[in-house]
Amino acid sequence: MKLLLSLAITALLAAAPGFGQSVSAREAARFLDQASWGPTPGSIEQVQEMGINGWLASQFALNTSDLPDQPIDNAKGNFNENLAPVQAAFFVNTVTGGDQLRQRVAFALSQIWVVSATTGLPIAYAYPPYWRIFRDNAFGNYKDLIKAVTLSPAMGSYLNMVNNFKANPAKGTSANENYGRELMQLFTLGLTQLNLNGTPVLDSNNNPVATYDQTVVVNMAKVVTGWTYPTAPGATAKVSNPPYYFGQMIPVESEHDTTAKTIFNNITLPAGQTAEQDLDSLLDALMAQPTMAPFVCQQLIQHLVTSNPSPDYVQRISQVFDNDGTGVQGNLQAVITAILTDPEARAGDAAPASVTANFGHLREPILFMSDLLRGLNATVGASNGINAATTNMSQELFYAPSVFSYFSPQYRTEQGLLGPEFQIYTTQTAVNRADTVNQLLYGTIPGVKIDLQPFLSYAGDDSTLLDYIARIFLRSGMSSQLQTSATAAIDAQSTPMAKVQAALYAVLTSAEYQVIQ
Amino acid sequence: MFTRRSFIRVGSAAVGSLALRPFGLLPALAQSPGNYKALVCVFLFGGNDSNNTVIPQDSSFAQYTSIRGSLALSSSQLTASYPSIQGPPVAFHGKLPNIGSMYGSKELAVVANVGPLIQPLTQTQYQNPQDAADLPLNLFSHPDQQIAWQTSIAQGHSPTGWAGRVADYLAQAGVNSTNFPPFFSVAGNVLEGAGVSTQPVALGPGQSLQLAGFNSSASSQARLNALTSLVADGSSISLVQAADATLANSMSDANALSAALAKSTPLKTQFPATSLGAQLQQVAQIIQVQQYLGMTRQIFFCSLGGFDTHAGELETHNVLYPQLDGALSAFYAATQELGVTENVTTFTESDFSRTFQPTTTDGTDHAWGSHHLVFGGAVQGGQIFGSFPQFVLGGPNDTDVRGRWIPTISIDQYGATLCNWFGIPASALAAVFPNLANFSSSNIGFLG
Repeated sequence: MKLLLSLAITALLAAAPGFGQSVSAREAARFLDQASWGPTPGSIEQVQEMGINGWLASQFALNTSDLPDQPIDNAKGNFNENLAPVQAAFFVNTVTGGDQLRQRVAFALSQIWVVSATTGLPIAYAYPPYWRIFRDNAFGNYKDLIKAVTLSPAMGSYLNMVNNFKANPAKGTSANENYGRELMQLFTLGLTQLNLNGTPVLDSNNNPVATYDQTVVVNMAKVVTGWTYPTAPGATAKVSNPPYYFGQMIPVESEHDTTAKTIFNNITLPAGQTAEQDLDSLLDALMAQPTMAPFVCQQLIQHLVTSNPSPDYVQRISQVFDNDGTGVQGNLQAVITAILTDPEARAGDAAPASVTANFGHLREPILFMSDLLRGLNATVGASNGINAATTNMSQELFYAPSVFSYFSPQYRTEQGLLGPEFQIYTTQTAVNRADTVNQLLYGTIPGVKIDLQPFLSYAGDDSTLLDYIARIFLRSGMSSQLQTSATAAIDAQSTPMAKVQAALYAVLTSAEYQVIQ
Repeated sequence: MFTRRSFIRVGSAAVGSLALRPFGLLPALAQSPGNYKALVCVFLFGGNDSNNTVIPQDSSFAQYTSIRGSLALSSSQLTASYPSIQGPPVAFHGKLPNIGSMYGSKELAVVANVGPLIQPLTQTQYQNPQDAADLPLNLFSHPDQQIAWQTSIAQGHSPTGWAGRVADYLAQAGVNSTNFPPFFSVAGNVLEGAGVSTQPVALGPGQSLQLAGFNSSASSQARLNALTSLVADGSSISLVQAADATLANSMSDANALSAALAKSTPLKTQFPATSLGAQLQQVAQIIQVQQYLGMTRQIFFCSLGGFDTHAGELETHNVLYPQLDGALSAFYAATQELGVTENVTTFTESDFSRTFQPTTTDGTDHAWGSHHLVFGGAVQGGQIFGSFPQFVLGGPNDTDVRGRWIPTISIDQYGATLCNWFGIPASALAAVFPNLANFSSSNIGFLG
């Protein structure tokens, strides 16, 4: 099987357009900043050998990283809320896992479809199965992803679709609006209708056109009534099952609202449908909204490539989302390929000077840590303190503050540019980032061992050392200002190790490293 | 060097009517240690169901009990009923006992049914708007309504927060004797504190802005100098500039903050070991050393999240309200310890309140107008400002049929009342609250 797979990959690679073309170290490293958890000397060479398309093809075939299932209960017989083993394993995967692109895309998707242990779902065993939805659908179809997440008990619990029963007139209650609202607002359509290029659709008075109103939210709440937790093995199915986080939610027709429901774009789901029929009608209706492609694609571009994509870039990717070339809509593998190979993503490959002023995005803490560790040849133990470090930079894995994730795609810097990751870049966390670099270079992080040996072999000459560091951490391009600053820092040190540490500290705390360009 | 001092962005058209004023022309803000004032915002993220925070104990209690069903708190789940100087007697959620006593001792007031508005709005105008632009942008959406609260510009799209614009005014009027940021967040970046000419400082509770790993040796100083010169150097890449600017601000604020905090003495007041407790303890410690920071006016921002109670609301409130009650009462005790009760006014904000009618999951959905708490020695406590809505689904205060109350007090009025006490002259309020002129009163009265 393994042999067959590798033969298949080789065939794919040979067929890929980029195969055999020469790829510069800068091009490879830039690409890997966008498509992996960070370039390493080895992965740079790999992309140079395979070409971008060849590397993509090999990555699409990989699905190797898993997160360990956790016990349901702790030793005291209560729900186990200890996510530390899952968080630690996540970072082992980011640093050493082979399926780098799948992990990056899964992480991006998980920041659109947020479930969090901060409030709502502190149950540890719910997270590995939930994560696998993104891992397994990262190169699949967006429609399948919508359905898989919608029926996942983790999301069902977090946004209350589970046990959301139809209105009860005797009790004076209404169906819960939470999932119906956020499914539209955060996961599929957004608040404002978008043109294919991501700009808002405007009415005749130049006001943005809303995607839906409150009446639609009330009706959406009814659409997603009548689902409960999966029945645990050995248990008897009930109308309202107790929490169980493996498998998919199951319908409870007696609690599904079967009235006709008018939703967005004046689409009416007919009366009398089952819970699953209503859900399938809803999925069809969602996929039919032209605003979905730019809404989803713009966010994926922001996570992988740049905070401020041009409208043309968004439009090109939206077109692929709407039709992958074979008439299929929502093909994420095609979308990811288009995002990463787009001329706007690749425009800076030639030289640092070819990056336009507003291009790039700030490395979020989880990406920052993963890249640091990969670039510093770290060995990471199954139990490690990496999560504590990202938490200190305001990004604790699986603990987003709310369903609105760690930062908003709409967050703007002081200068008015979109800069989502800047929402968690404060006067405090900026210092904490530098202090993390300090801890890594001059101290220790539990369960982590970096290896500076490759750098030490270049310590005899400032510019050779900085060239080597730039190859790994700066896409083979260092500004003259950083070159000057780092050289001054190196020259004040006496030992080779101190020179390497000083050079790395200067580079890794610099904004030109923190911002992926 | 590229510091916050040299980076103050004044003189642009965006400053608007906040014209530069000569130092010393503001008697209301004349500097003396006893004249210190602080506003402390506690933002309840997720949309607190204030219908269960404070409950009128008049004839409407029967309607409350009937409509709220499984969420209705019985008398045994409430504090004692407190008489009000103005408005109906009220009881608070039973997990807010200290809030209740502060109301009883007239240190805390309730401002009823506050929310984002562009102008006064009747139910008819809401249900049949002449122009959709007359309504706040994206009502019932968490981020949009947080932004509306933080900017006080319900039309949306404001790049600055109302407290940030107050900070701009303070900076331009030279009210504080240093350029240390007037807006101080212990809860991360928030739009509320973003100004045009000033940017907030954010400090993690118990953390420091001092960079770790440096000593006075030449080799260490060379590394520090490298970093210092680099953040000042400028880059052709916009987001690199933005990241540099933030770290430059950290480095510029770090020494002043550390020097001041070094003069602090441990507070005797015990704060609860909660996130909000730690935040408010940090605020109290900054207030203790305000004279060493050179501050005459400061605005603080804290937050507590988790209020998005679509399901299981009673259980969630039973977890969150003790945290809120414990942290707020400890903070008030700390202001007593520091002798600054008259100088510090604390107030709540939240995305929105929630439907009066419950969901089938024993929770509530997103709504609009909400009741807020204001406390401090200067507050006209023991009173209800504004009025509670009529507890009738589909009644005169409802947007639809689930009890989403149309606000009767705008955030502009709430904020302007705070700012009036804070010493912001009426002439400067229009720039802070551009919609304020649409409302008949700019002072609700809870600060005299």
